[in-house]
Amino acid sequence: MLGWFCHPEHLDIFRGDVYELYQDRRESGSKLGADIRFLFDIVGLCRPYAMKNHKIENSNNIAMFKNYFKITYRNLLRQKVYSFLNLSGLAIGLACSILIFLYVNDELSYDRFHEKADRTYRMLEHFQDEGNGEHSASQPFPTGPTLQAEYPDEVVQAVRLFNFQSPSLALANKAADKAFNESRIFFADSTFLDVFDFELIAGNRETALDNPNSILITTSMARKYFPDEDPMGKFLEIQGRQNLEVVGVLRDSPKNAHFQFDFIVSFSSLKPWFGGNYPRGWYWNPCWTYVVLEENVTKEQVESHFPVFVDKFFPGFIKEHVTLELQPLTDIHLYSNLDYEIEANSNVESIYIFSAISFFVLLIAAINFINLSTARATKRAREVGVRKSLGSSKAQLINQHVFESLFMTFLSMIFALVVVAIFLPAFNVLTEKAVSFFLLLQPQYLVILVAITLIVGLLSGFYPAFVLSSFNTVSVLKGAHLKTSGLNFRKILVTIQFSISICLIIGTIVAINQLQFLMNKDVGFDQDNIVMVPVIRSPMGQHYENFKTQALQSPRITSITAVEEIVGAKHQVGNYQFEGMDESKAYARFNMRHDFAKTFDIPIVAGRAYSYEVQTDDSLALVVNETFVKAMNWGSTEEAIGQRFYFRGELRGRVVGVVKDYNFVSKHRPIAPLVLTLNSRRGAFNLFIKYVAVKINGADIEDSIADIESAWKSVMPNMPFDYFFLDDTLNDSYKAEKKLSNVTIIFSVLTILVACLGLFGLATFSVEQRTKEIGVRKVLGISTSQILVLLSKEFLLLILIAFVVAIPISYLLTQEWLNSFSYRIGIEFWPYIVSGLLTFIVAFLTVAYHSMKASLINPVETLKYE
Amino acid sequence: MKYTQLGEFEELVLLIIGSLGENAYSISIKEEFKQHTKRNPSIGALHSAFNRLEKKGFLESHEGGATNKRGGRSKRFYVITTYGRKALDDSFKLRSTLYHSLPQLGLSSE
Repeated sequence: MLGWFCHPEHLDIFRGDVYELYQDRRESGSKLGADIRFLFDIVGLCRPYAMKNHKIENSNNIAMFKNYFKITYRNLLRQKVYSFLNLSGLAIGLACSILIFLYVNDELSYDRFHEKADRTYRMLEHFQDEGNGEHSASQPFPTGPTLQAEYPDEVVQAVRLFNFQSPSLALANKAADKAFNESRIFFADSTFLDVFDFELIAGNRETALDNPNSILITTSMARKYFPDEDPMGKFLEIQGRQNLEVVGVLRDSPKNAHFQFDFIVSFSSLKPWFGGNYPRGWYWNPCWTYVVLEENVTKEQVESHFPVFVDKFFPGFIKEHVTLELQPLTDIHLYSNLDYEIEANSNVESIYIFSAISFFVLLIAAINFINLSTARATKRAREVGVRKSLGSSKAQLINQHVFESLFMTFLSMIFALVVVAIFLPAFNVLTEKAVSFFLLLQPQYLVILVAITLIVGLLSGFYPAFVLSSFNTVSVLKGAHLKTSGLNFRKILVTIQFSISICLIIGTIVAINQLQFLMNKDVGFDQDNIVMVPVIRSPMGQHYENFKTQALQSPRITSITAVEEIVGAKHQVGNYQFEGMDESKAYARFNMRHDFAKTFDIPIVAGRAYSYEVQTDDSLALVVNETFVKAMNWGSTEEAIGQRFYFRGELRGRVVGVVKDYNFVSKHRPIAPLVLTLNSRRGAFNLFIKYVAVKINGADIEDSIADIESAWKSVMPNMPFDYFFLDDTLNDSYKAEKKLSNVTIIFSVLTILVACLGLFGLATFSVEQRTKEIGVRKVLGISTSQILVLLSKEFLLLILIAFVVAIPISYLLTQEWLNSFSYRIGIEFWPYIVSGLLTFIVAFLTVAYHSMKASLINPVETLKYE
Repeated sequence: MKYTQLGEFEELVLLIIGSLGENAYSISIKEEFKQHTKRNPSIGALHSAFNRLEKKGFLESHEGGATNKRGGRSKRFYVITTYGRKALDDSFKLRSTLYHSLPQLGLSSE
């Protein structure tokens, strides 16, 4: 044991000593005591001077570091091009990774600021019926409170959020004549502020939402509605029928929360809307329900009660198809993609992709650094020779060069931070975030930054350090022409660099293509020139036909209908029982008014569209899509016409029409069976009809809007008019892909830039080394183009290899990514060709620049010193 | 060269080595130390003191005298150098001078 650490000089004596002591103690005492003290003695002998690697240090380290620093500084200045390439490449790489780090960090921070975040869950309702149905993020009204009442020991708090499933609600400050349609408004249980830690600036946290007709507003909304006064105690009118007292002011909702709000209305204010009490049904599920579990109660524990719970409370006809689930609050932003999310969430995939990109950018930058440093080695060889002959040990030389690379990395890190500080605002716009630069200055992030610098600096410093320190002193000093060692290693690194670049280019092209493909208008219905006017809970129900007649008088308006949800984005679910079925089943359902197919230009493939002439269309007729016909095995679309379904228990309804399949939700999902149902009841405007959709001719958009507005004002002079264009909204469904492709474009351009910087540096180096050779060749009559071939051959071969390596890798990766889409582009040949050519051309230009320069030098210049 | 100091522990070790004469090696020094001071220094502490004293030039050492008890391993014997002797003298002189300059009054009043 002693031998393990002890210097051989002392080993024998020490062994003897401890052994003798041991023997003495064995004679005088117990074996155990002697054993223990034997161990103590050995440990006691662990003294620095006795250690194996103890050396006498008398060199002045600080002075040496001063010297290293000076040499680094001189080299920096002497070789400006290299230093610039080295530093800027590394700085770009670091800046990219810092930006992406900030992005990823922000994505991961969602909803974690709530104190109870780790035991808060959102309740999900899966409604599954042979592949149809929904996965809902929301619950029926009674679920939350009932669950809490049933399992009070496990469920501490429950809060429901509700917004009528409406895209916006009308709010007005009557006194100041300010009226707006607000989209970020929620009705919430009084426990809202207990479950979530949103900051209340004014008002009483405990009692804020206890009373009916109370509303909390955010500071920016306070400014919007009450610009010059204290909002507390003032009133806001909602939907023109209920006055709400402002009882508190909230800080604007944090960006890193999965739902954003401007107004929170006390839940009890809802009672008058439903005839004095909350809806009691367990079918309609519009409430986002969050529960806080007791500490030490697991998700599984509570979920184990759910089958019993469902059986006890849910209505018989859906019982068997409903499963409930608890979704951790902190998972919502990254993992949740359900029906009826409050907002579209991000996905964890883009985080992986971004992290991978940032890693690769950094890797490429580090490779640059290694390549340039080793390439520069010949220039430094003489210095190394002198140092060696003056007694530098190999370890010292390695120290020096690692120190140098660390120093350079630190310098780049500083540049990188400056770059980040400059570009962060633009990056925030691009990614729709509000990340602050000062986040980086917090200790834990500073530590990470320093760690990154150290890792990159050490990793990229070690290889050059070993190469440099291994030079043979004599040959270096003699000035022998050095065949730089590590050329093969460098070639491998360059190949890796370009493989990564090519992969990134291919990935970017594929991502852009896929995005274009998703966003192209071929969705089976016409989404251009359609103005959507939100009408939920407005008196529109009474005035609809009036409004329609009035608006259609405008020559600019071609057709009008009304729909339940945004066409192409959302749908609801309804239960239908067709002839031959034992019980009803859930299908995607869409309520609408007459002229739906006409307005959206959806072809009727069989039967007819809903007609004003047929009174019973409202209840006894259904229109379905082609997929529905297929799912029901009705044979042809013609045979589908006349199929009967149960209405109020009797087999009275009939299918009257079949529409061509269209993408009624985004192209992330395949087309499912769909039931289109006419709902012309006036009351439907409360729940089942949320928008009026107006098709305009598109020639004069502003006038068309003005026409719609005047028709609106003529029937409902007091309601604020609001509208949006369908195609804008639908494009928003592809926000995640858009963001992803934007970011990948930027970073792959940067990656290629960095890789080219490296290539540029290497080319400079290799041309410099061969100036004499070129001089001789020129004298012997080589042509400029031959020089070009001579010099670029080497690099272009590397790129060719890189290309061959990159193709299968990128094929697999893009294939994997594309498989996550139900509508996807096929793998095409041309992105590969394009990326290959692009890299080839850029690299060729880089090298060609140098070759040209070299070939233009008068050979006399290069040869005269020989 | 800097003037080297003798620490209290070092001084005692040096004195003991001087008094032990020929037979001064780690274990015997340890025993002697224990006997005189009632302190039981660890073998490690002693070796590190020897090492320091040797570096300062107060001690010389030679190996020898392997015994069965030690598993056949040799001992390292220490001998005080003239320089070491001088350091002890200086130290003693300094101490006694200072001691004699203590006010007599304090003592006689005891």
